[in-house]
Amino acid sequence: MGLVLLIWSVAAAAQDGSIENGQAVFRRDCGFCHGRDGGGGESGPDLTRSKLVADDQAGSTIGPVIRNGRPDLGMPAFHLSDQEIAGVVAFLHKQKAKADADKGGRKGVDEADLLTGNAAAGKRYFDQTCARCHSATGDLASLTKRLRGLRLEEQMLYPRSAKSTVTVTLQDGDTVSGQLSYLDEFTVALKDAGGKHRSWRTADVKYTVSSPAEAHVELLPQYTDEDVHNLVAYLETLR
Amino acid sequence: MKLSSTIFFFATWAALAGPPGDGWPTYHGDYSGRRHSALTQITPENVGGLTLAWAFQTGQQAAIKSSPLVVDGVMYFTVPDNVWAVDARSGQQVWHYTYPPNKGLHIGQRGLGIYKDWLFFLTPDAHLVSLNANDGKVRWTVDVADATKGYWTTMAPLIIGDHVIVGVSGDFDNLRGFLRSVDPETGKTQWEWDSTPPPGTKDAATGGMTWMTGTYDPSLDMIYWGTGNPTPVLTATTRPGDDLYTCSIVALRPETGKLVWAFQASPHDTHDWDAAEVPVLVDADFHGAPRKMLMQASRNGYFFVLDRETGKSLLTAPFGPVNWSLGVDARGEPIPNPKKEPAPDGRIIAPDEGGLTNYRSPSFDPKTGLFLVDAHPSWSVYFAKPADGTYGWAGADYGVWGKGEIEAIDYQTGKPRWTHELGPNGSSAGVLTTGSGLAFTGDAHGNFLALETATGKTLWHAGTGSRIENSPETFELDGRQYVLIGSGSVIFAWALPERR
Repeated sequence: MGLVLLIWSVAAAAQDGSIENGQAVFRRDCGFCHGRDGGGGESGPDLTRSKLVADDQAGSTIGPVIRNGRPDLGMPAFHLSDQEIAGVVAFLHKQKAKADADKGGRKGVDEADLLTGNAAAGKRYFDQTCARCHSATGDLASLTKRLRGLRLEEQMLYPRSAKSTVTVTLQDGDTVSGQLSYLDEFTVALKDAGGKHRSWRTADVKYTVSSPAEAHVELLPQYTDEDVHNLVAYLETLR
Repeated sequence: MKLSSTIFFFATWAALAGPPGDGWPTYHGDYSGRRHSALTQITPENVGGLTLAWAFQTGQQAAIKSSPLVVDGVMYFTVPDNVWAVDARSGQQVWHYTYPPNKGLHIGQRGLGIYKDWLFFLTPDAHLVSLNANDGKVRWTVDVADATKGYWTTMAPLIIGDHVIVGVSGDFDNLRGFLRSVDPETGKTQWEWDSTPPPGTKDAATGGMTWMTGTYDPSLDMIYWGTGNPTPVLTATTRPGDDLYTCSIVALRPETGKLVWAFQASPHDTHDWDAAEVPVLVDADFHGAPRKMLMQASRNGYFFVLDRETGKSLLTAPFGPVNWSLGVDARGEPIPNPKKEPAPDGRIIAPDEGGLTNYRSPSFDPKTGLFLVDAHPSWSVYFAKPADGTYGWAGADYGVWGKGEIEAIDYQTGKPRWTHELGPNGSSAGVLTTGSGLAFTGDAHGNFLALETATGKTLWHAGTGSRIENSPETFELDGRQYVLIGSGSVIFAWALPERR
């Protein structure tokens, strides 16, 4: 697999922007957050282990992220030329192939690294705390088919993509409910049942937000490291 | 030569006097780092009428992170490889300088230093460029550090007398941090202070980068500077002990660079928590006795109050969730918990790597005694294993959750008197306070906010259309007070409606 990617990336580089140039662009614009080698740095994830990079075909998934950024995760858009993007894509595939080939001495977080806990203790924690909202045979059945390893642990600690709902009470007493799409001190916005965007001044309405992920935030100060490891060990048994 | 307000400013500068009303001649506005202006035209009563005076668009993608200098009616600001001079009354460009394309790390640029009519600008490939402030022409360029080894530079030089003080960045290699004084006329090095021993020294850390502009007390003749984290960053096997002088606040003599005292905010750091945040200088009573203090809200989650004559601790208190220490020692320095060092199976840590605060400037308001900081309560998981090695980053960390809030810390107790929520993930905006009781900052959504300093209540806001990544500042020209903020690639100048 690594070899195939390596050959692909070399071929791509010959057509569109060299790996050397891609590496220079990456170090200039991306290196601070993702590390100079793409293996993770200040705040940016390890791209050699990224699903987005693994899924990428000739820039199909990496290109749009570079061009548009991921504002929700703090990544700005970069106005790079097509050649520069091709170079960065080639460089990332090369780095991934190199990292994947580094068996045993692999940097970063492996699923096996996380499995130091006691699954039975994890189940006890789950039953006491998590079971208030979750079920191992319901919403979390076959969890490991969807999530494993580090991504599972991250989602467990805080499900970043969980949606909040909001009910807005208008001045005339009518209520509108939907998926919360924006909230600051001044404006509340939702997507209503018909898919329509609606917004109000917070000064003009009353609103109630329901965020299932908030319960995860409340747990953060309570976990010991052992609790986290035990919980991951247990969740990894949900096959 | 004209009598520039810069010269006037430096010649008449009384200790901690605050920025001159008609300009903003240093990164922090003055030497104290308080980011507090005595201006009072814009008040809590009239701020609701604040309106756009002008906007300047760079037309470039790089986010504005610099604090513009404003001298003699001209504003000077930067993004990496670029300097602009802009008329501060109209927002019209005077000149634009571009540094040649280079391979340095382009993460940000925080601004300039000015001495007489000369500007000083640091580049991604670690050069110091001196420009003529009148036309943007290059006078000279000197090397500050070797960019091919992994150094880069972003900070705004600090000018003290005939010293241009410059610091360096570089976390991805095991490099020595240093602070250097350069002659403003010739570019020659006057002195260098090294924060760590040379790479390869047995059992010693490298790092201790000097990437934020420090502060200066002319009466004590000491420069105050925060140093960055040790390297390797997340793995400490090759650097047992405290790793001096990383994650420290140091006091140096501006003439010689000699160390007077040091206080370590994070002994033996393994979480990338630079102590580079602004060392804010305040003269006031502490627990009933007058003191010359230094205050820092540090990235590691602690608020420190020091006696800046001696470096002795007056107060150490966490200002948000902190779970990595065993408490505080007799010197007021936190004691790191070895069980919270990064590990192969992960350690849950508060705050996250971005820290409980960071580069964004805090502000001290003398009237209320409040230290306002854009805080980032947050949680994360830190990993390190032998395969990660002992070079550069040497581990991995993942932010789990965070939010932004302004905390108004009472420096006598370290406890917040009020907090003001800024939104999910957090904000990158700094804080400005003014003599009329206003505090300006930005939220996580790109709203520019005017708050009542005493209570944190929102009095005015405007959506800016992008994240705010610099710190507000203010000055008055022709009897009109302006407030500046950068957002995305635009500088906005706000003012009350013009008198007819």
